[in-house]
Amino acid sequence: MSIDKKAIIKMDSIYKRFYIGTPNELEILHGLSFDVPDGEFVSIVGASGSGKSTLMNIIGALDKATEGNYHLGGTNISLLNDRELSEIRNKKIGFVFQTFNLIARTTALKNVELPMLYAGMGSKERIKRAKELLELVEMSDRAMHMPNELSGGQKQRIAIARSMANNPSIILADEPTGALDSKTGHLVMDIFHKLHKEQGKTIVLITHNQKLAAETDRIITLSDGNIVSDEKMSGNAVYTLNETVKEEKPETESHDESVILTDKTSGKDGQ
Amino acid sequence: MNFKENILLALAGLKANKMRAFLTMLGIIIGISSVIMITTMGTIVEKGLAGVVTDLGVNNLVEIFIRQKEDSVRTTIEESDMFSDEIIEQLMTRFSGELQYIAIQQSVGGGTMRFNREDINMTVYGYNSDFIHIFSTDLLRGRYINEKDIQGQKSVCVIPDDLALKLYGSPENAIGEILSMNVAGGVKEFAVVGVYKYKQSAFGGVFSRNYDIHIPITTARKMINASPYYSWVDFITYEDVDVIKFSEEFGEYVNERYYKDNNSYEVMCYTMAEQLTSISQYVGIIQGVLSIIAGISLLVGGIGVMNIMLVSVTERTREIGVRKALGAPNSAIRIQFIVESVIICAIGGLIGIIAGVLLGNLGGLLFDTSAVPSVGAIVIAVSFSMAIGIFFGYYPANRAAKLDPIEALRYE
Ligand SMILES: Nc1ncnc2c1ncn2[C@@H]1O[C@H](COP(=O)(O)OP(=O)(O)O)[C@@H](O)[C@H]1O
Ligand SMILES: [Mg+2]
Repeated sequence: MSIDKKAIIKMDSIYKRFYIGTPNELEILHGLSFDVPDGEFVSIVGASGSGKSTLMNIIGALDKATEGNYHLGGTNISLLNDRELSEIRNKKIGFVFQTFNLIARTTALKNVELPMLYAGMGSKERIKRAKELLELVEMSDRAMHMPNELSGGQKQRIAIARSMANNPSIILADEPTGALDSKTGHLVMDIFHKLHKEQGKTIVLITHNQKLAAETDRIITLSDGNIVSDEKMSGNAVYTLNETVKEEKPETESHDESVILTDKTSGKDGQ
Repeated sequence: MNFKENILLALAGLKANKMRAFLTMLGIIIGISSVIMITTMGTIVEKGLAGVVTDLGVNNLVEIFIRQKEDSVRTTIEESDMFSDEIIEQLMTRFSGELQYIAIQQSVGGGTMRFNREDINMTVYGYNSDFIHIFSTDLLRGRYINEKDIQGQKSVCVIPDDLALKLYGSPENAIGEILSMNVAGGVKEFAVVGVYKYKQSAFGGVFSRNYDIHIPITTARKMINASPYYSWVDFITYEDVDVIKFSEEFGEYVNERYYKDNNSYEVMCYTMAEQLTSISQYVGIIQGVLSIIAGISLLVGGIGVMNIMLVSVTERTREIGVRKALGAPNSAIRIQFIVESVIICAIGGLIGIIAGVLLGNLGGLLFDTSAVPSVGAIVIAVSFSMAIGIFFGYYPANRAAKLDPIEALRYE
């Protein structure tokens, strides 16, 4: 939105190649360059296999670019060692996955505590913050539940709370609604919008859903490892929470009940 | 990620896979229980042997007994084949520098009495006055059988303290009382002149209590019309004598002097010292075998732990990826898996200690004694099994730590 804001993500001719035994090399990303200003909600769209997740892994410091420079909040990620990368992932980035990836046999609360545990936060402070985050995603009553006792939508809300644990500057969500039905998906999107609006988080969202992408500030379209379009959304397309909810399910009043009902009947309950 | 969290996490993982955890621990359990059995058994045998040693003052005991020659003509023993008081006298004189005491015995047999509607069983032995030195127990009250008793064939006896307590209320009350019992085909009366402290013998606990009553050897002989010839005699040497060496010399001398012309019998010497050495050797062999079993099971157990940890790392590849995405440094992942491996081994070690103590004491029943391993042994056993956990857990844990986060996350 605001061009004057400092770019939190700075991508400069990023290449990613996989070596599947020499001389075969597979170039997945062909020199991508773009910036994401602090506080922007950007979506990345594109066909399956176009390199979205590969790009996301680089942004999230899980993977390194084969060539090119990536600066995150002024730090050149390409120069960091393993230990420094894990610290970046821990403090600066919050991941949300398509398949939720909650740790099995571990309560929702403990899952949310996990990044804080790795950050070395004391147990009292950790539990307090984890409870606040569960409240934020309206999952306080499920704090002591195990992942296998939760619906898909509930799991994803826990996962979002977890991604927020160390108050990261960026939230990276790789198809977070991909395993959810559209109603539940919208509820999850509500949370991202809330985090964006109320807490000014920078959010990078990968999605297949053009409608969901259209609610964000900007859409980057990937095709075969190239950026084929990068457009900022005009003000009128910008998402407003109430409108969307009304549009999708005008008859329902309570979000929570519909989530549970939908999930149970649709059986979309992967982990 | 602190230790407490890691431990709780590992315990939760083990709880979810109880059977697998137990099977994994089995090698460690067998190994550690063998180690504990070795130490428990060692303690028990030591205790048992110590009992034997003090029971008979046996370190300086040389027993000489007659046996058939290989080319013996007769199979029946005659009085002329046995030791007489005269021969014993001569030997004591000849070896006065080495031999300190002599113990001779005449068993009379069982005796019974009724007391408070209870049958009391006793065994009556005739002893010489030296016997008190061999039977190195405390005389609590009164005196032992003396030369006068033996010369006069007196009807006196020395009884154990627990019998004194039972019949007369206390050892001091027993002195001067008359003990009347049914023995050698009639009722006999003995004046109690002494009370000795009863010591449970090393192997005695299995049988019900039978009181040993000591009377003068001459009295015993008269009661059953026994002649003064012995098929075996116990000698006690002075403390500084090398009994094993002396017993050889002694046996040779006796054979040369008294049995050269005997066409059927000769003597043999036997020392408790030699016997104890061979018991210790035997125990040593058992301990050695157990040590090998322990070593092999700990090695196999360790490899089993390593194997299961590798399986666990593979199963949890995705979890490892997620943890890394959430910011877990490699060291945290490594520690998580090492802690899990150490906990498996420590629990296995604890179960092994309990099993080892139980099994070791089962063997201890035979010796009627029990032993608990020292705190030191427990600490060493647990630390050792934890060390196994670290050693065999390190490789899988390191493999987990070094997983590429992307590949781990993509793992199906
Ligand atoms: N580790 C890898 N080795 C080889 N090829 C890979 C690897 N990871 C991803 N790819 C390939 O890169 C391409 C882009 O994958 P990805 O970024 O996951 O696509 P998207 O998320 O857009 O569906 C795919 O063709 C995929 O097969
Ligand atoms: Mg993808």
